[in-house]
Amino acid sequence: MNVRYANPYVIGVLLGFILLFSFYTMGRGVGSSETFSRIAAAGVDLKAPQHAEEGHYFSKYLSKKRSPLMAWLVFLTLGAGLGGLFSAFISHRIKGEVVRGPLMGVSSRLWLALLGGILSGFAARLARGCTSGQALTGASELAFGSWVFMFSIFAGAYATAYFFRKEWL
Amino acid sequence: MGPLYKFGWFDFAYSLQIAGLIGFLFGFVLERAGFGDARKLTAIFYLRDFAVLKVMFTAIVVCMIGLLYFSVFGWIDLSRVYILPTYIWPQTVGGLVMGVGFVMGGYCPTTSVVATVSAKLDGLVFIVGMILGSFIFAELFPLLKGFYEAGSMGAVRLSDVLKINAGLIALFVCLMAVGAYWVVEKVEQRFGDRGTLPGGSRKIKGAAAALLIVLGLILAIVNPDRIAAKRATASPVEAVKKGEATEPIAPKAEKPASIHFKIVEDEGC
Repeated sequence: MNVRYANPYVIGVLLGFILLFSFYTMGRGVGSSETFSRIAAAGVDLKAPQHAEEGHYFSKYLSKKRSPLMAWLVFLTLGAGLGGLFSAFISHRIKGEVVRGPLMGVSSRLWLALLGGILSGFAARLARGCTSGQALTGASELAFGSWVFMFSIFAGAYATAYFFRKEWL
Repeated sequence: MGPLYKFGWFDFAYSLQIAGLIGFLFGFVLERAGFGDARKLTAIFYLRDFAVLKVMFTAIVVCMIGLLYFSVFGWIDLSRVYILPTYIWPQTVGGLVMGVGFVMGGYCPTTSVVATVSAKLDGLVFIVGMILGSFIFAELFPLLKGFYEAGSMGAVRLSDVLKINAGLIALFVCLMAVGAYWVVEKVEQRFGDRGTLPGGSRKIKGAAAALLIVLGLILAIVNPDRIAAKRATASPVEAVKKGEATEPIAPKAEKPASIHFKIVEDEGC
């Protein structure tokens, strides 16, 4: 972490233009969480295809015509991985580690990461999107629910941040 | 006139390539901002570094202003942009739970991808968690279905709920963003580590804030809702063709825009 990160306002402006480009070309914003839901659906489809049939939540991803992973947001997430990799590579930030505060053990950090991921994945399905798909995209088109969602994220995180202070500080 | 895909300018296969491009840029700028590091991300919840809020609010304000100006100039038909529908209760609860997941796990979905590609093991574990979380949701869906549909209000925007025009809302959002930047910079100066916070000249920040407010003020006076409504009544087909003719990169300009082009894909995120 010896390289100083970019100015967040500049990044914000760039991200705003990327979002605008997405709206202009596709008529929709960005998103990520659906990708992971689709991966789960593909897994279910592989292991127990009859389980995800009519009426199951995953059935909306599964059509006879194409794989559940052949979707717009899956390609966007793949791109995000490549873009992040390229940026980390050019500033020598690819370094195998478990990010945590100085007082935190590796295994407890990983368990919390898993649990946090489960909550995040669950919440994203419940709210029909994540910080990108709901908050960024919806807020910029002034969708009412997305603004509520965004402030709820901050409320939930600030309300519980005290209990996780040893994980980060 | 945009959105290009909705007017049938390119097919599904081409749209996937655009998705890859948008994703690449998205991941790139997130990593530039340092969002592949959970400590940088969660620092906002301990009042030390508000980069997350600055990036989010700036992106939202820039894109919002862009969309409204594009609409005023007739470059984009906002009625064809997918507006996320509001389901107020699941969105509120989902937001709260995602906030807890954020401070507990250290990431949100996209940033965990960026963390994973920069070889952070906790990012990868977070992704595994998200896949499990989606699976748990899908399995519990029969129980959650009622709540999932609760508080449905349709594709409403702030302007519909508050009954004020979108231009005025845009001005409020600009003012709110500038106010938020001012407050968080004060807080950062008190609690943050000045060595790692990015600088930036006071003059440029002031000028940018003034520009934001002026752009918002113009929108509030121009009232994009009224202009869009006027354009919709005055021969929509002609407006479409004019928009296409002025666009130089038209790959299929000879093909007339299909007004009834409809995407069957599920567009939720």
